[in-house]
Amino acid sequence: MSDLFSISTTALQAFEAAINVTSNNIANANTPGYAREIVDLSATAPQTIGQAAVGTGVAISGINRAYSQSAENQLNTSQSTLSQLTSLQTFTSQIDNIVGTTAGGVTTALQNYYNAWSTVAADPTSTPSRQALLSSAQALAQTFQTTSSQLQGLNSQINAGIAADVQQINSDATSIASLNQQIVIGTAQANGQPPNALLDQRDALISNLSQLAGVSTTTDSNGAVNVFIGNGQPLVLQGNVTQLTTVPNQFNASQLEVSTSTNGNNAISSSITSGDLGGLFAARTQAIDPTLNQLGQLAVGLAQSANTQQNSGLNLSGQFGANLFSLAGPSATASSNNADNTTATATITNVGALTSNDYLLSQTTAGLSLTNAATGAAVSFTGSGTAANPIVADGVSIVLSQTPATGDQFLIQPTASAAGSLNVALEDPSQFAAAGALQTAAGANNSGSATIGAATVLDAANANVLAPTTISFTSPTSYTVGGTTYAYTSGANISLNGWQVAITGTPAAGDSFTVQPGASGNNLNALAAAAQQTQGVLSNGTISINGGAGDLVTSVGSQAQQVNTSQTAQTALNTQAQQTVQSISGVDLNEEAANLLQWQQAYQASAQAFAIGNTTFTTFMDSINGTYT
Amino acid sequence: MRVTQSLEQSQFIAAIDQLQSTISQNENEVSSGLAFTAPSQDPTAAGEVINLDQALSQSQQYTSNANSAQTSLQTENTALTQLQNQLQSLSSLALEANSGTESSQNLSAIAAQITQIQSSLLGLANTQDGNGNYIFAGYATQTQPFALTASGASYAGDQGQPQIQVAAGQTIAIGDNGSAVFNEIKTGNGTFTVTAAGGNTGTGVVGASTVADPSAVTGTDYTIKFSNPTTYQVLDPNNAVVAAGTYTSGQTIAFGGLQVTLSGAPAAGDTFAVAPSTNQSIFTTVQNLVTALQAGTGTPALQTQLSNAVNAALGNIDQAITHTSTVEASVGGRLNAVTTQLSVASSQQTQLQKSVSSLQGLDYASAITTLDSENTQLSAAMQAYTLTQGLSLFKYIG
Repeated sequence: MSDLFSISTTALQAFEAAINVTSNNIANANTPGYAREIVDLSATAPQTIGQAAVGTGVAISGINRAYSQSAENQLNTSQSTLSQLTSLQTFTSQIDNIVGTTAGGVTTALQNYYNAWSTVAADPTSTPSRQALLSSAQALAQTFQTTSSQLQGLNSQINAGIAADVQQINSDATSIASLNQQIVIGTAQANGQPPNALLDQRDALISNLSQLAGVSTTTDSNGAVNVFIGNGQPLVLQGNVTQLTTVPNQFNASQLEVSTSTNGNNAISSSITSGDLGGLFAARTQAIDPTLNQLGQLAVGLAQSANTQQNSGLNLSGQFGANLFSLAGPSATASSNNADNTTATATITNVGALTSNDYLLSQTTAGLSLTNAATGAAVSFTGSGTAANPIVADGVSIVLSQTPATGDQFLIQPTASAAGSLNVALEDPSQFAAAGALQTAAGANNSGSATIGAATVLDAANANVLAPTTISFTSPTSYTVGGTTYAYTSGANISLNGWQVAITGTPAAGDSFTVQPGASGNNLNALAAAAQQTQGVLSNGTISINGGAGDLVTSVGSQAQQVNTSQTAQTALNTQAQQTVQSISGVDLNEEAANLLQWQQAYQASAQAFAIGNTTFTTFMDSINGTYT
Repeated sequence: MRVTQSLEQSQFIAAIDQLQSTISQNENEVSSGLAFTAPSQDPTAAGEVINLDQALSQSQQYTSNANSAQTSLQTENTALTQLQNQLQSLSSLALEANSGTESSQNLSAIAAQITQIQSSLLGLANTQDGNGNYIFAGYATQTQPFALTASGASYAGDQGQPQIQVAAGQTIAIGDNGSAVFNEIKTGNGTFTVTAAGGNTGTGVVGASTVADPSAVTGTDYTIKFSNPTTYQVLDPNNAVVAAGTYTSGQTIAFGGLQVTLSGAPAAGDTFAVAPSTNQSIFTTVQNLVTALQAGTGTPALQTQLSNAVNAALGNIDQAITHTSTVEASVGGRLNAVTTQLSVASSQQTQLQKSVSSLQGLDYASAITTLDSENTQLSAAMQAYTLTQGLSLFKYIG
């Protein structure tokens, strides 16, 4: 009879525990990382009565998590990719807005600037027109600067994001290491039964970590988990943590990189390609820097073409025009890891050949090598880096102060800082060179049929280039200029004082032609400056500044669109991964309600069995009492 | 598949978020009237819109340039019309002086009137446009181009001709330099001149001269020389005789493709120089006329000199009238070109605006329909959520 009591007792205990587990499941229905728990029941060893084995009750063999490591891993990977895209999207959509805002954007400012030149050409001596041109040039430079500083501002957001992510990664890694220790001890103490709540916490931390940066994990036999980041750099090994640090970029101290050591020698940024951190690095190297470079390329093209035109015309005071725009030249930075203190200097020699790429110049055992900093592809170049024979590639020339030590690296950024430094160098509207440098005229009383063409300035530095000069024909076959008589050939160039001009046709003796500086009402240079709007300047003269701005908008827009599309697709994939995990580990309240009822009924039945045992015993006792009394 | 309540909840929220963000974007489109507000929504169209905007802005600038060119050309046209009128008056006054019946006093009065005309001519030559620029100064628009001198007028401008861009690849000259308008006027009949020598003692007067045979014109100088009042010889620069004959008053003398009419009674030894036309300023022509008129008609020799001077002046004034008409015609042609360009630009701008709005403009009908269907979708989703949220086994237990 005692067996009936003991069987019922085991059942009551087991079902009470099952009800507790179910209640715990319900209590944690909304706890992140919680995996629903299942009570495993098993029948206890039977007792042999006579020839038969009789059951002795039920025992709890374990409380296990409904958990699938592979589904969890899949979700973590998908989360990593999603947070990478989400963080990248934050920046591409900001760039999209910065560059794409048509009102107040670079393209509008460019149009206003060229139109202002056209207005000056219509009335070259008008001060209001010139003032409007000065204002539009300033507005244009301002637009370039603002756009550039907004993009630079994104870089500081990225630095802040990297620092925050690294801090969070370190904190999570530390928690994982300490959980590892507790889990190992807890499992040992519970005879191999893992402490489920701690496993849940650790899984939640790993999931958190994979949203920050893609990680991979391995599980040791004692229950501890090892976490690896990037290309397999260990972050957590059992109870040990490798702390990540932020270090300045070897070429650009204003950009933070992630390293596994404090000296910055082990920068692992390039191997972190997923998670929020991966998104931040991608935004910097694939979105912000290329956009800044492209914008800089436009600024260089604009400044160079505008300045060349200014330099070839005369301002209202009759002097050659000074540069209209000023901007910073290319930057050539030595790596902070370089063995010696060789410096590099870069200058732009050919705007048409210029690209928006950055270059890495390295001294290898095989000599100098130049590669595209973004893709690593080799870039062909000429020269050896000496002042006499500079390295020339893609319109940039680089001079090294000495032969660098093997292993030294230099980052060449031809256009990165151009847009941010674009400024108007002129202050006075009269300094705009609207007039052509030289104008020619035939003498009013010429009787021959010869005509004079336009004069070309060959050397603007010649002191006498603007000196008015008369070419007098002493006979139809000879002319005097600058005090010397020459034989005349129709169409041949006549050069003096740094200019040249051609006279064609048959002059008569006594005919004269004059070459003199452009008058204030001469608008030839202003016409040429306005015509630059549609002139090819970039990419070997095939793309105008405005066309380049259009290309920039299209490429920024395409990138943002592509990231948006990928992000949406990844969100769908991630939802699927979440569903899979939830369908395994999530708490379904209806299911728990059913379980609760089931366990309640089982408990009630067991209690009833106990009561029946009691009644049976009492009946037995009563019958004994009845017999003997 | 097991569906858990927390997943259901988070998926519902994600779906609602997604719908709300689409609705907000569509609202943005409807309120701005733009099919896309960021390049990422349509990168290719965004790039194209920039190119079209540039073309549009450039075309609008060309329109503004063309309007400015039109104003300049109209100012020049008015000046040239007035110049024509003044030259006509000058011509009538010269004819009046040439009637042979005017007293020295009358001639002085005519000279005074001509001097008046001379100063109006100077005023016209120094015409300024609305911006204070001299329109007949070439590029030297800030310099007063003409000033009277003893022999006519000096020109301080240059031979530049400012151009204005009125279309891609098309510039229009918005002025003509003063030298071309006022100074480069051919003398005589435009091909050659006949001038009585200053020392002539007879009363031979140079009449009409014409080119009879353009192919025979050599362009060299000739001298018509009278060995006696009835015999003349035409000599070339080497003193070779190219023609000779007996002279009667009003006779036409022909040589080298040219025809010269002389009248009056030349004296023995009188000569007449025949030379190719050169450029002479209208101011020099007027000044010469005034000088001749002021000399008076006291003697037959003076009368002859006056007749010769007035005849020469009449020829030069005719040339000036023809020359001015040519310039006026060219200005008129340019005005026409500008007007044509303005209408071309206007239709081009309409076309460009159409293209921009077809790329960037919103199709309201479809946008609003979409918005409406998204709203319906959102409210349906919300309703579905409240329905499923009511379903829980717990409601039925106990």
